[in-house]
Amino acid sequence: MSTRNPTDWKSEAMRKRIAGRYAAERRFKFAGLFAVVLSASFLAFLLVTMMGNGLRGFTRTEIALKVDFPASPLLLDPKAITDEALANANLPMVTGTVAKTALGDKADALLSPTAWISIRDAIKADPTILSRTATISVPASTGLDLAAKSKGSPEMEAEVAQLKQQGVLSTGFNFSFLTASDGTDPTQVGIWGAFKGSLLTMLVTLILSFPVGVATALYLEEYARKNWWTDIIEVSINNLAAVPSIIFGLLGLSIFLNLAHLPRSAALVGGMTLALMTMPVIVIAGRNAIKSVPPSIRDAALGIGASPVQVVFQHVLPLALPGILTGTIIGMARALGETAPLLMIGMRAFIATPPGGVTDPATVLPVQIFLWSDEVSKGFVEKTSAAIIVLLAFLLAMNGLAIYLRNKFETRW
Amino acid sequence: MTEEQTNLTIDNPKMSARDVKVFYGEKQAIKGVSIDVGMDHVTAFIGPSGCGKSTFLRTLNRMNDTVASARVEGEITLDGENIYAPSMDVVQLRARVGMVFQKPNPFPKSIYENIAYGPRIHGLAAGKADMDVIVEKSLRRAGLWDEVKDRLHDSGTALSGGQQQRLCIGRAIAVEPEVILMDEPCSALDPIATAKIEELIHELRGRYAIVIVTHNMQQAARVSQRTAFFHLGDLVEYGVTSDIFTNPRQERTKDYITGRYG
Repeated sequence: MSTRNPTDWKSEAMRKRIAGRYAAERRFKFAGLFAVVLSASFLAFLLVTMMGNGLRGFTRTEIALKVDFPASPLLLDPKAITDEALANANLPMVTGTVAKTALGDKADALLSPTAWISIRDAIKADPTILSRTATISVPASTGLDLAAKSKGSPEMEAEVAQLKQQGVLSTGFNFSFLTASDGTDPTQVGIWGAFKGSLLTMLVTLILSFPVGVATALYLEEYARKNWWTDIIEVSINNLAAVPSIIFGLLGLSIFLNLAHLPRSAALVGGMTLALMTMPVIVIAGRNAIKSVPPSIRDAALGIGASPVQVVFQHVLPLALPGILTGTIIGMARALGETAPLLMIGMRAFIATPPGGVTDPATVLPVQIFLWSDEVSKGFVEKTSAAIIVLLAFLLAMNGLAIYLRNKFETRW
Repeated sequence: MTEEQTNLTIDNPKMSARDVKVFYGEKQAIKGVSIDVGMDHVTAFIGPSGCGKSTFLRTLNRMNDTVASARVEGEITLDGENIYAPSMDVVQLRARVGMVFQKPNPFPKSIYENIAYGPRIHGLAAGKADMDVIVEKSLRRAGLWDEVKDRLHDSGTALSGGQQQRLCIGRAIAVEPEVILMDEPCSALDPIATAKIEELIHELRGRYAIVIVTHNMQQAARVSQRTAFFHLGDLVEYGVTSDIFTNPRQERTKDYITGRYG
C-alpha cells in the first residue's frame, strides 16, 4: 500500500476547483434568471398587445342623432306601441331617411346597420318622444368607429373631425358586447352567447368527468389488486391523457353524433367530448393525491374499526381533495381553451342566439375567437382581442376558484 | 408444541394463538407461534429487528388483512371465538382489539374529533352530552385531559409527539376495547414522553389486556409482567418477565438479553 500525502486544502488545484464551483453556480443562476426574464417578457408582450387591441373592443362610438319624429315618415300610434307595431313600422328605412336629414348623403356609411334598434328601444322606453324632436345615441358604423378610436381611412378621419366639431360623437363602454351574441356586423356582435355556451359545456364536462375520474382514481388506488389488468388500465389512462384533442373530437363525432344521434352543435355533446379528454387528467391527478395521503392515517382509522368505505370517504378523500381539485381545474382549464374537438362536432356554426339549454345549438369562447379571427371586416380584429380577454378572465376566475377551494380544504398538519 | 414453550399457556386467556403461521407471498414470516395473552397483565414482545414480533401483533386484530400478499394460518381466538372465522366482523374486532402505532398518527382534526371519531362510527354515544363525557373520560385515562382541556378544538397534530401518542391511546380507549395492541409506541418519543407513556401503561393495566412490542429491553422489563422473545419468526421463549430477564432458559434468549446480538 502506497502512502498518501495529507490533503493540501490550500493548494492551487484546490483553489481552482473552488473557483470553478462558484463560477458554475453563477452561470446556473444567470441561466435561470434569463429564462424567467424571457418568459416574463413574452407574457408582458402578449398582455400589452392584447389589452391594446382588446380594450377598444369593449367600447363603441355613438352618434347623437336628432330625430324629428312628427316630421318623419313614421306611422306609429304613440298609444299603441307593441312589438308587432314596431316591427311593422319599417324602422330601418325610416332611420335611413332620418339620418340623411341629419348627417347628409353619407349617413349610410356613418351609421351602423343596426342603428334602428337604438331608435326602436328609445320609442319602447318612452313613447311620448314620438310627438317631439328627440336626440338618440345610435351606434356608428365600423369604419367610423375605427377612425374615432384609433386609425381609420382618411375619409372617415375627416368625418370624425367634422362630427366632433358638431359635438355629436361620443365613445363609451359597449354593454351590448357583453349581452349580445354572434352577428354579421362587428358593431352588433357580443360575447354572451359564446360565454353561456362555454359555461354550459364546462358544466357538462365537470358533471361527467369529476365523479367518474375521482371514482376511477379511488378504485384503482384503494381497491384494485395490483395485477396485469390494472397495469393495462394504468398505461391506457396515461396514454389517453396524451392523445391529441382532435382525436377526441372524431370520437365524439362518430359515437355521440353518428351512433347515438345526439343533437349536433350542442353544449351537451361538446361537454361529453371534453369530458373524455379531461377524465384521464383527473384520474392521474387524483391517484397521485390519494397516493400521497400517509398510510398511517389509513392504519389509524382501520385500527379503531372504521370500515374500508369509511376510511376512504372520511379520511383519504378529504385529505386528497385539494390535490384532486387542482388536477380537475388544470383539466377543466385545458377543456375551456379547447377548439379542435368542438369543431369536429359542429360547434363552429353561426349561432346568433344564446343557448337556452345544453341541447340547444351553441358555440364556445375559443371557437368564437377562431370564427371572428377569420372574418374579413376590420371591426372584428378588436372584437377578437376582446373575446380573448373575456376567455382569459374566465380562466383566471376558474383558477381563482381552484386556489380558494384548495386553501379551504387544505389540511394543516 | 416444543418443550421450550412450556410456559405459554395461562389461566383465563383473553386471546390465544395456536400454531399461527404468517406468509408474505412465498416468504414465511411467522413459523407456528402459540401464545396466550391474559387480561390482568401487560405482555411484551421483544426480539431483534425483523423477528416477526410486529407482524404477529398485527395478526391479533387482523391488520395484516390490508397487506394483499399476507396469508395467515392457524387459529387466534378472542374470548374463545376464532377471529379469522367468516362470522367474525373485522370492523367490530378492531374496535374490541384496539391498536396504537409506532409513529403517533392522530387524524388531522381537532383533539375532540380524534377521540370522538371511533365512538361515532360505532354508535357508542347517545348525543352530544354523552360524547362529551366519553371524550373527557378517554382523555383522562390517557393522562392528557389536564394538558388539553382548554383547547379541545385545536388540531391534534399541533400537539407534541408524546402528547400525540397519548391522544392516539385515548382514541383507542374511547371505543372501549378489551385488548390494546401497542406497536413500539415509544420508539419515536423522547425519554420524558416515553416515561409518561410507560406510566400510562401501568395505569391501564387490568382494565385492558395490553400487548406491547418493544425493541427496548429495559422498557419490556419495566412495563410488562410477561415477556415473549421472538427470533426469526419463532417464539423462542415466553414467561414471566423477571424470569426471562434474570433466568432465561434458552441460549438464544440469553444471548439477546445480554446484548450478544440484536
